[in-house]
Amino acid sequence: MISEPTLTRRSFVKIGGGLVVTIAVLPDAFTPHGTSAEAATLDATKLNSWLEIRSDGRIVARTGRTEMGVGMAAYYRQTVAEELYVRAETVDLMMGDTDRTPDGGWSASFLEGAQNLRKVSAYTYQALLGLAATKLGVPQTALTVENGVVSSAVGAGTQAISYVDLLKGQQFELTIPVAGTLAAMNAKGTGINGTAGMTVTGNPAMKPVSKYTIVGTSFASPSVEEKVTGKTQWVGDLRLPGMLHARMVRPSTLGSTLMAAGTLDRKKFPTAEVVTKGNLVAVVSPDEWEAVGASRAVAATTKWSDWAGLPGHTNLGEVIKANRVQGAKRGDADKTAAALKASAKVVSATYEQPYVKHAPIGPFVAVADVKADGTTTVWSHGAQSQGMRAHLAHMLGVPLEKMTVRWLEGSGQYGRTSLGGDAADADAVILSQMLGKPVRVQWTLQEDFAWSTGSSAWVSDLKAGLDAQGKLTALESDFIMAPGMDYRMVGAMLAGMPELPVPAIGGGPAAFGFGAVTQPYVIPNEFHQGAGARVELMKPPSGVGLRGNIMRTPGQRQHVCALESILNEAAAAAGADPVQFRIDHTKDQRLIDIIKKTATEAGWKPRPSPNPAARRTGDTPVAGRGMAVMYRFGAYWAGIADIDVVPSTGVITVKQFTIGVDPGKVINPRHLKSNCEGGVVMGMGEVLSEQLTFDQGKITSIDWTKYKIPTMKDLPAIKVVTISRDDAGFGGVGEAANSLPQPAILAAVFDATGVQPRRTPLTPDYMKSLLLKG
Amino acid sequence: MPTFNLTVNGVKKAVNVAADTPLLYVLRNNLELSGVRLGCGVSQCGACSVLADGKEIRSCVTQISRVGDKKIHTIEGLPGLWAAKKGLPADKAASTLHPVQQAWIDVQVPQCGYCQSGMMITAADLLTRVPEPTVAQIKDAYTGGPSPHLCRCGTYSAIIDAVQIAARAMKA
Repeated sequence: MISEPTLTRRSFVKIGGGLVVTIAVLPDAFTPHGTSAEAATLDATKLNSWLEIRSDGRIVARTGRTEMGVGMAAYYRQTVAEELYVRAETVDLMMGDTDRTPDGGWSASFLEGAQNLRKVSAYTYQALLGLAATKLGVPQTALTVENGVVSSAVGAGTQAISYVDLLKGQQFELTIPVAGTLAAMNAKGTGINGTAGMTVTGNPAMKPVSKYTIVGTSFASPSVEEKVTGKTQWVGDLRLPGMLHARMVRPSTLGSTLMAAGTLDRKKFPTAEVVTKGNLVAVVSPDEWEAVGASRAVAATTKWSDWAGLPGHTNLGEVIKANRVQGAKRGDADKTAAALKASAKVVSATYEQPYVKHAPIGPFVAVADVKADGTTTVWSHGAQSQGMRAHLAHMLGVPLEKMTVRWLEGSGQYGRTSLGGDAADADAVILSQMLGKPVRVQWTLQEDFAWSTGSSAWVSDLKAGLDAQGKLTALESDFIMAPGMDYRMVGAMLAGMPELPVPAIGGGPAAFGFGAVTQPYVIPNEFHQGAGARVELMKPPSGVGLRGNIMRTPGQRQHVCALESILNEAAAAAGADPVQFRIDHTKDQRLIDIIKKTATEAGWKPRPSPNPAARRTGDTPVAGRGMAVMYRFGAYWAGIADIDVVPSTGVITVKQFTIGVDPGKVINPRHLKSNCEGGVVMGMGEVLSEQLTFDQGKITSIDWTKYKIPTMKDLPAIKVVTISRDDAGFGGVGEAANSLPQPAILAAVFDATGVQPRRTPLTPDYMKSLLLKG
Repeated sequence: MPTFNLTVNGVKKAVNVAADTPLLYVLRNNLELSGVRLGCGVSQCGACSVLADGKEIRSCVTQISRVGDKKIHTIEGLPGLWAAKKGLPADKAASTLHPVQQAWIDVQVPQCGYCQSGMMITAADLLTRVPEPTVAQIKDAYTGGPSPHLCRCGTYSAIIDAVQIAARAMKA
């Protein structure tokens, strides 16, 4: 339902949703304790669900989105401050509590979430201007606002009034026009609708981007100082009266069921207790260390059924291809096939990547308090509070109104909780309901590696055609991904509680709308397919199995790796410089601009690959360079890797990575730089060392010695190149950077050695075997 | 349960816990110092690092019975450590940040921030031993020891910048 904004003004009426000056204390909102049964959700059409102006001039802004580490806590404050003409330092931000924020929504937060608060702030600013014009008796056009003080220069002297004085003793109501709904389980219980959250509609007059004074600056996020000084209250820090600490005892394999739960030696563990429900086994204690020790003792004596339904992690590409399920198509199959046939040269290749993990430093943790009547509060660090609320209410069989999710800071999620699941929250809710006490569930790192979702393996067959002049005639790809989009919660599945079904078509990427991806090139003939794979790994007796999910830059990260890699191979086959080859195949000036600027910063010298000095033997380093580009969410990206390879050891060293981005308007240069640098490091891990390994029953890469992510020793010199534009809107930059290292480094290895690797990770052993084969 | 007398962030505390309890749990649960973070629990990531007599240790694998009379500092105690070093009066000490913390804010190092407590502890340890570390020495400090310090958000280059800024501030 959409309604237009209306403004009425009344004095001293019962607070019913208007903007009022409220007492100048931090609202209860900033303390995580207490439950909130009286207010299930806020009415998003009411202004004060979004904004409060406090008598000390501070402004509270509310968003259903959450800070996942990419800087939203800064960007949202900057956006609100910009449109309200106040200082960003005066804005307090409340995020992600389902009962105290209005709009819900998922983790790609700025483009939609900040746009909501931007419009709300703009509507409010216009209303405040009108109020001030009346009060001061001057036309609205004669007013200026700075730092929350409205001034008029009409007549004899300057008049000025602050927002606080303007609103003191009265309230005005402003109806915010919104569309969409909060997240809710669909009628069949097969999926959660509304995860995108509500959208503020209409077109209020907003400050022109060229007039921005706050957006575009490196505003320091207050949440950073809290983290640095130890003041942040993380989910794992929450301690409620009577709370029990829980550690889970997981099955021996991803498919096993419980035969007999282990027992506890009461003398050794006097206050611990074993709790079971179906295949869910936990140990609880008021003392966390006792829970740890007792859970180990119980794990050692618990009996599980055998299961060996996994294909193992080797030859995954073949397994996925054999189980291909048709997904999305884009382009003309026949014309592309004909063009390839008529091409002077055709480059064919198959690229693939195994499962990788989100692998946060802090494992899942959650606290739940389920009351006897089903009223539940869950403290969660997920990226989708309203979706999690709907998910948990469905599991518990209670109406949505009884379920509240409060968000607190947690370790980065990198996409795994963006759909409202895959977390410890279900474990905590189930145990709290059974025990009638608040329960804190802390997963271990090993458990997190073994039982959380990963980013699915994929394989892509590609063909590129070239004419006699070395121009692309056709590009064809067939991308297949193992089951993904699986955000079911382990606790619910093991306990036999209502859960979502196994995702459709094996949860292939087609289900998410990125089934067939193209790049911003002009190629005469293109045909792309994005398919899922029906891999029956997800229906073992336990109900869990090997589960794939979205991960930072989902779908496009994998597609772009394959598409940019075949482009690099085509450029080499054409004897063309890869930078010039791309410029020759696009008409998109923003792409050309960022490619050129990035290449200049990288010190790129035009020549085709491989490097004239390339070799695949020898004990000394040989240099290579490679590049990749992408377009995502309104932002253009280019990445250039400069590497060394020592052929005899197979060791790759990334010496420099230059990453360029044109995101439209840069919101916060310092945080943008952080996102670029962090994305490069994360992407390097995928190409150089990361692989989820598993045998026939279980995941075997369950700690940091077996799942290797980059360390500070691996850090290259990272150069960040940006182009900011006032006339191109905002692009998404919280992700995408992690997509560029993989195709750029794959190309750089070819440049250095003349041997093209087509699967990752490029571990020294794998590199050595590749170089031997030649 | 046995009693252990600890000196944490300059304050003497007595706790009654099992002798094999890791220092991590004592700090977080008994002393409510939540700046110390649980990461891997097996000394592979460095999120739980604290200072023991000024040297970094992994609190997740340090049994309370092994702490003895070592003076423990968490990030909550870094301001006090700096104030003591500079001989600041108590009222000033309360509003002072350790130069490492200030540098972390100036550079806006944390992304999710979960690992940064341990990262700052390493910086405080390093800068006591090596007042002007080179980039290579900084990389050694974060990758030597029981395990590399891991950051999944990839803040390593921001950390290097911040350590160098803190070094300059501590020298001044």
